[in-house]
Amino acid sequence: MANKTVDLSLLDGVLNEYAQVKGSLITILQNTQDIYGYLPKEAIELISEKTGIATSEIMGVGTFYTQFRFEPVGKYLIMLCQGTACHVNSSELILQTIKDELGIDDGQTTEDGLFSLKCVACLGCCSLSPVMMINEDTYGSLTPDKTKKILKDLREASK
Amino acid sequence: MINLTINGKAVQAPEGSTILEAARSAGIYIPTLCYDEAVEVYGACGLCVVEAEGIPKLLRSCSAKVSEGMVVNTESERVVQSRKVAMELLMSAHDGDCVAPCQLNCPARTDCQGYVGLIANGEYDAALKLIKNKIALPASIGRVCPHPCEKACRRKNVEEPINIAQLKAFAADMDLKSDSYIPEVKPSTGKKIAVIGGGPAGLTAAYYLTIMGHSVTVYDMMDKMGGMLRYGIPQYRLPKEVLDKEIAIIEKTGVKFINNVKLGVDFTIKSLKEENDAVIVAVGAWKSSSMRTEGEDLEGVYGGIDFLRGVIKGNAPEIGEKVAICGGGNTAMDACRTAVRLGAKEVYVVYRRTRNEMPADKLEIDEAEEEGVIYKFLTNPLSFNGENGKVKSVTLQIMELGEPDASGRRRPVPVEGKTEEIDVDSVILAIGQKLVTDDVQELELNERGNISADSDFFTTNIDGVFAIGDATNRGASIAIEAIGEADRCAKAVDAYLNGEKLDTRVPYISKRDESTIDYSDREKQSRLTPKVLPADVRNKNFDEVSLGFTEEEAQKEASRCLECGCREYYKCKLLNVAQRYDINPERFKGEMPQKYTHDENAFIERNTSKCILCGLCVRSCREVMNLSSIGLMGRGFKTDVSPAFSLPLDQTNCNNCGLCVQLCPTGSLTEKFNLKKQVPLDENYTEEFVEIDGKKSSVLVSRYNGKILRVIPNDEISRNSGLTREELQAKL
Amino acid sequence: MRIVIGQGSCGIAAGAEKVRKALLNTNLKNAEISITGCIGMCYLEPIVDIYDENNKLTRLVRVSENDAEAIASYVESGDEKLVEKLIVSDEDSEFLSKQTRIALRNCGVINPEKIDEYVNAGGYEALKKSLCDMTPEDVIEVIKTSGLAGRGGAGFPTWFKWNAARSSEGDEKYLICNADEGDPGAFMDRAVIESDPHNLIEGMLIGAYAIGAKHAVVYVRAEYPLAIKRLKNAIKQATEKGIIGENIFGSGFSCDFTIKAGAGAFVCGEETALIESLEGHRGMPRLKPPFPAQSGFWRKPSNINNVETFANVSWIIQNGGEAFAAMGTEGSKGTKVFAVTGKVKRSGLVEIPMGKTLKDVIFGIGGGMKTDKPFKAVQMGGPSGGCIPADLIDTVIDYKALGATGAIMGSGGMVVMDESTCMVGMAKFFLDFTAKESCGKCIHCRIGTKRMLEMLDRITKGEGKEGDIELLEELCYSIKDGALCGLGQTAPNPVLTTIKYFRNEYEAHIKDKKCPAGECSDLIEYKIIADKCKGCTLCARNCPVNAITGTVKNPHVINTEKCIKCGKCYTSCKFGAIVKE
Repeated sequence: MANKTVDLSLLDGVLNEYAQVKGSLITILQNTQDIYGYLPKEAIELISEKTGIATSEIMGVGTFYTQFRFEPVGKYLIMLCQGTACHVNSSELILQTIKDELGIDDGQTTEDGLFSLKCVACLGCCSLSPVMMINEDTYGSLTPDKTKKILKDLREASK
Repeated sequence: MINLTINGKAVQAPEGSTILEAARSAGIYIPTLCYDEAVEVYGACGLCVVEAEGIPKLLRSCSAKVSEGMVVNTESERVVQSRKVAMELLMSAHDGDCVAPCQLNCPARTDCQGYVGLIANGEYDAALKLIKNKIALPASIGRVCPHPCEKACRRKNVEEPINIAQLKAFAADMDLKSDSYIPEVKPSTGKKIAVIGGGPAGLTAAYYLTIMGHSVTVYDMMDKMGGMLRYGIPQYRLPKEVLDKEIAIIEKTGVKFINNVKLGVDFTIKSLKEENDAVIVAVGAWKSSSMRTEGEDLEGVYGGIDFLRGVIKGNAPEIGEKVAICGGGNTAMDACRTAVRLGAKEVYVVYRRTRNEMPADKLEIDEAEEEGVIYKFLTNPLSFNGENGKVKSVTLQIMELGEPDASGRRRPVPVEGKTEEIDVDSVILAIGQKLVTDDVQELELNERGNISADSDFFTTNIDGVFAIGDATNRGASIAIEAIGEADRCAKAVDAYLNGEKLDTRVPYISKRDESTIDYSDREKQSRLTPKVLPADVRNKNFDEVSLGFTEEEAQKEASRCLECGCREYYKCKLLNVAQRYDINPERFKGEMPQKYTHDENAFIERNTSKCILCGLCVRSCREVMNLSSIGLMGRGFKTDVSPAFSLPLDQTNCNNCGLCVQLCPTGSLTEKFNLKKQVPLDENYTEEFVEIDGKKSSVLVSRYNGKILRVIPNDEISRNSGLTREELQAKL
Repeated sequence: MRIVIGQGSCGIAAGAEKVRKALLNTNLKNAEISITGCIGMCYLEPIVDIYDENNKLTRLVRVSENDAEAIASYVESGDEKLVEKLIVSDEDSEFLSKQTRIALRNCGVINPEKIDEYVNAGGYEALKKSLCDMTPEDVIEVIKTSGLAGRGGAGFPTWFKWNAARSSEGDEKYLICNADEGDPGAFMDRAVIESDPHNLIEGMLIGAYAIGAKHAVVYVRAEYPLAIKRLKNAIKQATEKGIIGENIFGSGFSCDFTIKAGAGAFVCGEETALIESLEGHRGMPRLKPPFPAQSGFWRKPSNINNVETFANVSWIIQNGGEAFAAMGTEGSKGTKVFAVTGKVKRSGLVEIPMGKTLKDVIFGIGGGMKTDKPFKAVQMGGPSGGCIPADLIDTVIDYKALGATGAIMGSGGMVVMDESTCMVGMAKFFLDFTAKESCGKCIHCRIGTKRMLEMLDRITKGEGKEGDIELLEELCYSIKDGALCGLGQTAPNPVLTTIKYFRNEYEAHIKDKKCPAGECSDLIEYKIIADKCKGCTLCARNCPVNAITGTVKNPHVINTEKCIKCGKCYTSCKFGAIVKE
């Protein structure tokens, strides 16, 4: 997947809007990631060219914030909340369940490219802890069984 | 102007200046590792903290401004504690060796990597001078030293250690061949020092104290100086001519020698103390240790060092044709090989463990065997049996190896009822040596019967009397141990003569965790040893066995050095600050943030495992040079300095201006030397000027022993000139 | 009839959107279906509020899409029996009735996506009053009288910051809202933005007027997409109405509004790091001085306040500083919002006047523990705060009183713990958080938090040694003293408070190699009580390493050598026959 050529023309809109607006680097990177699902090297080089910000600085910013990725992610990005309430309500069990079910660790993607797992900072849905987000959807009050079912349903849905 | 007080001193500073600037202008030191005038303040290291009255928080003096009437303390207990912990944390995450393990394992801290590297580069005189900073008798020591340095040498993890001892002998022999190096002697201090004992310890102390400008006299009971080097080491290992030459050099520096005088007979410590400002007792250990075995007092049973001394002085005792040597150390080897050379037909070495546990040098063990020595491993003398008062045979208890003991070696235990008897004409007991206590009655002895001397200050119970070497504390050891003590003692005595007390303990240095080092990328290259005389020739005479390295061999062997020590050791700001605080980073031992990796181009080498993230390189590259070739990547503990996409420097817009290297407070970024082998050296920096495109431009020039090692751009013109280091050097 | 569905993030996650769609699919004719934000009773989500013609409220809780038809029938017929099981209990109603809502006053009441509903609720009156009838100094004076202090955690007087920014020279100034709510276990700010975005905008515009800023910026966490969406919508509506932009209400005051989304860095909650991030850099804190009031965003005078702080402003302007100051204690005025979560029975958002006790919140409103295990401690202030033990439950909610315990008021996270939570594990949890979130700039935080984490990790694994507690304490005090910013300076608090109140638990880990709470897997063993085991074989089937043996209907046995302590048997046993020791 990573070898696919990156269509840089997709960035035109973002760069036209923000390249010359100072302080917009993070916004540009967020938009870039929305387009490609990650930050391709070619895109970073183009952003550097258009904004005049050195690639070392762009990468410095990109690697500082946890939101940014430099590798493509799976179709479903599982973001498991690591907040305090989730911790107190045994989110560790959910993490273990996901790892067991998918055979991947935090930060990895399944071989079929379907799921990526990322442990994230508190999602702010503490009353529903333990919580995870998959793409835009939030799932709360998780138990190991409920988690297995959610993953199973998504797998079915993608067939 | 603002008036404030720093450490009780009234200080004036312009309005708007920082506390750091005010302190510096008043000559008050505040440590910092991330501050430099060239770039904006950053505040990362937190070492510049100070306490100000009325302000509850510690202030970072690099950014806190002075105010009228401010009362600042830069060294309060709280400040020192904060810096101490900061340095401990920093060093716990700094993966690097300040100096090479060979140097650390040398009791005299000889800069092995330094002289080995210089030899590799063909700089023999520089190598010799470096050695002579620590060892006054290098040709002799190079021949006889059991070289703890080589035990620590990491090349052993690739194949075999560097032949450091022989390289030292090589450099020293080169020096002895022509005009030998005589160090510069400082102007006379008018202080007088007496040294009792002219062995390696006494001679070393005398040499260094003389160089410092003191007037030193060595008193010795034998007819010539050299102590055990002369009277305990056989000629075939250390020719007396070599020793004589080296002692002559010591004498040339101005040391006075008085021989054939004996402590307790011709003078006392007290009498010497009355005539001198200080006395150093270095009398050695001249009595062979007893085995407490039946029949030890029979005729034909000799002490090892007594036997060797007799041979050297030309009155060898009668040993007959069958000789048993008891012991497994180097004295046992000297004794058995000497016995062979005296014509004995059957020479046994009786040792209670096996070959693997023998403390003697492996080469010695092998060479002795080649010369015909017979090893009786796993045997221990039960009794020496005599006839008419003369020894006739030895009864040996057969041993086997049991559980490991405290030293980690397997303990020999007797095999019940199993013995063996061998016929002998003589027995030589080479199991150790002791101080002759009658000689030093004036001094306090410890429970082992040795002189009790402070291990850091070398002081004894008498003021102004110092003691070192085999006669002290734990007793007899190897020569280099005594030499190390002598060197440190010389510094302690010098301080004493100036009315000071000098702690000679080795200050903190950073060491890598040996278990984390990877050698897989090193090419194997076998160890060279000098050629030796054939066994059947050498066992019939006392000619020197080793023929020494040729130049070619020496350079080749020296080139194998892995260059463990840091090139920036001598100017490392990080180490400088670390050594100011009594730190123990072991408390916080844990994961290292970065892997030990290199990235290098023609001039610059990057090693992120040593990086302390002060950010000076990144900031100067951006703020001063406007290049941003490198940046901070990641965050938190794993933050790293690197070009984008982890590219090597050579694939970035880096123009090799060297500013980052110049500002790096440690060895994370270094500028290479104009040398084949990179050697950490105590360079001498000068600012010089060159003409670039008709403009005068500043460069920093580092020299060592007269040779230019590096030329570093030092202003905007030279940094932006695009000239290589060679081109800059050509303009000097 | 009006049907209003609570649609905060929590509600949606619990299924509120599915409920709404299901209701839209019914044959309801006489009812208008709309949404509101977070009602605050998160534990009862999804919640459906039904208002009759007289505006009488019937609240249905834990609604699922399958209840849609029943609800529709109820709305049509008015027969309560149809939804009897869904109607909120009197006990649960107390969760709201015992609160005093100022910052949250519109949350769960109005539709956050409609500016008219905000205006109808009296919105933007305070702004009009400020701009048209008051000088900036007057505004600052009212805020001073109110005693409003920074709700982000530090509790610094708001008027003082506004005044400093106002007095700073320069015609270009920035008013910034810190909505980078990073404390794990806190979601007050998210709820305010999702449920009442105009209240935030109004508070900020008043603040901007007070300090003389023409630019207002909100820095929101990227993890809050719904909040960003609703805030963007609100800005658009307010701009269309002329409330944002040039010459607002004809007063001559102009102010533009921008949203910047964070990108995942807790440290950006620190003022100077937030500014660095706003400028598009790595979020590494700057040295102070200079303070943002002198040199902040783009090196211009800037004022930064937290969401909840701004959410109080319009109320204060409307009701007067005295009314706000009438609530609370000597040193802490007004109300405070808490996100009460963890092992508490009723979790959600609680706004109460300062001066109430922790007990009032946890037991009075929260209903006590949801398990049968006793209350052990409450964690306040997230990674910068600390754990307050059960015997200090009567501590008054007041900046000073909470600070005296070693914890802090914080931004409002209140995580309730019972006896099953290991306090060393809790300290480790927070240190793991701060170590991951440390920006890496200063030594004390970058390496210090990592080393603390390693030590705590060793202790929870049974590898602790004598002297570790003292070493931890020494390191804690050094980090507090030496770290560059608030993140590092407060990072040791969770460790220090747990050592202070639960030292015996540390000692049990270190000396006896035991975890009293039974949480540290390296220090526990699972065992089957033979008398209780029915031989159902469920545990054996769930065991991933086949460590459990036994035959059907006979007691099973765990092979402790093989056991990897995953706890699957423990959670699967239906007879309580498996114990942790």
